[in-house]
Amino acid sequence: MDIAGQNNNSSDFVRKLYKMLEDPSYSSVVRWGDDGDSFVVLENEKFTKHILPKHFKHSNFASFVRQLNKYDFHKVRQNNEDGQQSQYGANAWEFKHPEFKANSKDTLDNIRRKAPAPRKQGQVSEELPIQQIDLMNQQIVAQAQQIQMLEASNHELRINHQTVVQELVRLHRTVLNHDRIMQDVMKYLNSVDAQQRRNSKTLFPNAQENAPGSNLTPTSQNIAAADDEIPASPLQHAQQLMQEYNADSQLNFPGLEQISTAYQPPANSNGVRGPGSAHSSGSMGYSKLSDGQLEQIVYPMGANNGIDPMYAEHLPNIPYPMPGKEADGAELRGKYAESRKKSNYNDPNWVRSPRILLVEDDPTCRQIGAKFLYSFSCVIDTALDGLEAVSKIQEGGKYDLILMDIIMPNLDGVSACHIIRQFDRTPIVAMTSNIRSDDIQMYFQHGMDDVLPKPFTRKSLLDMLEKHLIHMKKLPSGMDPPPTAGVNPSLTTQPSSTHSVRDDMSAAASPAGSTGTWNSPSQYSGVSPIAGTMGMPYNTTYMDSNNTAYQSQPHTPLVPRGAMQAAQIAGPPGPHRRGPSDMGPQDMNQAKRQRVSGNFSGSTAMPVPMGRPQ
Amino acid sequence: MSLYIAHANEASHQEFDFGDNVDVGTFEQILDMDEGEEDDGHEFSRSIVFGFLEQAETTFVKMERALKENDLRQLSELGHYLKGSSATLGFTKVKDQCEKIQHWGARKDETGSNPETDDKKNLKLINESLKKVRENVEEVNNLMVKYYKQLEGEE
Repeated sequence: MDIAGQNNNSSDFVRKLYKMLEDPSYSSVVRWGDDGDSFVVLENEKFTKHILPKHFKHSNFASFVRQLNKYDFHKVRQNNEDGQQSQYGANAWEFKHPEFKANSKDTLDNIRRKAPAPRKQGQVSEELPIQQIDLMNQQIVAQAQQIQMLEASNHELRINHQTVVQELVRLHRTVLNHDRIMQDVMKYLNSVDAQQRRNSKTLFPNAQENAPGSNLTPTSQNIAAADDEIPASPLQHAQQLMQEYNADSQLNFPGLEQISTAYQPPANSNGVRGPGSAHSSGSMGYSKLSDGQLEQIVYPMGANNGIDPMYAEHLPNIPYPMPGKEADGAELRGKYAESRKKSNYNDPNWVRSPRILLVEDDPTCRQIGAKFLYSFSCVIDTALDGLEAVSKIQEGGKYDLILMDIIMPNLDGVSACHIIRQFDRTPIVAMTSNIRSDDIQMYFQHGMDDVLPKPFTRKSLLDMLEKHLIHMKKLPSGMDPPPTAGVNPSLTTQPSSTHSVRDDMSAAASPAGSTGTWNSPSQYSGVSPIAGTMGMPYNTTYMDSNNTAYQSQPHTPLVPRGAMQAAQIAGPPGPHRRGPSDMGPQDMNQAKRQRVSGNFSGSTAMPVPMGRPQ
Repeated sequence: MSLYIAHANEASHQEFDFGDNVDVGTFEQILDMDEGEEDDGHEFSRSIVFGFLEQAETTFVKMERALKENDLRQLSELGHYLKGSSATLGFTKVKDQCEKIQHWGARKDETGSNPETDDKKNLKLINESLKKVRENVEEVNNLMVKYYKQLEGEE
């Protein structure tokens, strides 16, 4: 009977209900049904007001009914029976549960609160949804805020990224620009130099004599054309390049804009990575493209002129030396190659013949100096005093080095140097016996670059030349930079080949001398062609492809790449070349050389009539 | 103390005693430049040497005139002028005298490092030096004539 002893499994509500029904005092208000398998609320009003508060701590009949429903009690319908009133009265509420029976406490445990039935969702949605909706609303608001924040940061990142990309592109453009400008400057300088060299050529009477003849050769024709073109339009070319550059940016900027627009969508979607990678790939594409263009633009003529602007060493390789070599150097060699025959020094291996202005009032010193210079494969112009030297420079004469006596009539060397320095930076070496420290200081103060003490020796003169004309020395073949311009190899080939010539020549001296005919004219007549060929490779090199250049070279034994051209080399290297009989025909194999040789023979007196009977 | 030139011709090994008039090493450089001359193996050096000797004679004449005019400055310039070429050829004695003349003409002592304002003294020293240098040049001239004759005889 006691509820306390009941199984705890039974619900409080059911037990309270059962206990309430056991109270006989409520029989008028609520009681077991007549059959004992249901209970009936007879007096709804009284039950709610008096009984419910006592047992269920509330006075809400609706709630009581809801609870009954939760435990799967069902209201017994009274109108099931037609026209018949409920046996308990019209206002009575009869509830039924299969397990809820009078005198059957044991079955109370079977009465469980049932899971919310689908058909009762309507009731559930009345209670829970409000909270859930609130929660969901909060979540939605929070998410919206998060999205906003993400959007904002994404926007910021996008802008930053765009800025970075633009900066990158701009930087790229700047680099491109600089490259091109550098190239333009190089070209311009080259052309200016070439022009100056042509002008200075007029200082050499013999050069003028040769000019027409040399123009007849195919090589020099090409050169002349190139020379004309290059100086004529360096600035125009620069402008053109700039325009091309602008076109570049126009071509590329749509891509950039595309990139930027492609970036917009990610802000609204989760596709941030997609566009991002697309962007980067776009940039890469741009840079690749630009690189290609860069190469094209930077080396548009590299393949032709053998000058890679990226290599400063190529500066001396610029085409302009050609005419000088042909007209001046070659002619001089043709004349004085013999004198170099017995040289105790190796050929200086100039890229081209250095042009030296020898300013010396003393004829003996001038002749000897010039003779030495010739033996170093230099092209010499002379001035008898400082005044003449200044005027030669002022008239546009271009030299690689000026050797300046100090004490001279009319205008001394220091004053001449001072004047020349107002408009020209050609290295000037003082030649003087006045080499006290204060003297030397004064020389330097007035723009001299060095001092060659008098009396100079052949060695000291050569050392001075090599010191100041180091940039005109040929590169050792090993140092040949990997060339964009295919002509480089040939340029570097020459040093060794020329070198070998020199070696051969000096080697020739001994055996020749041993025959006791060291001064025999015929002995050395054959050397002249050699000297000529020394000049020749330059021509072909500048004009033609590697192969041609190599072909024109009679000897490349020391050159690594020479193996390729070995078959093309005319004549065996070494002593065999020495004989005049060998030289002539060999040279004649080369049409170009033949013509130039003709030039050489046509060339007559050298500028300084040294060595000639006076 | 005589110096010898072993001529560049290794075969002949000709030796020639220039005495202390010529610095062999310097002069040999000039001779080296003769190699391969077409008509005459020594034409270059010969022309240089005898060109210088003529030049020296001309300069001496100018010096004599300048001496008469007490033109120290001119004397200094002429001395310098001849000094350079003689030094380049290795004509040591000539060069030394010319250098002194240059210094005296510049109103300095014979080393050129100290001033010498006594013009009469300078002129006198120059006059003496001029005589010496003329003798030197004459000597060199004789040597050179002999030397080149010897070379020609060989050929």
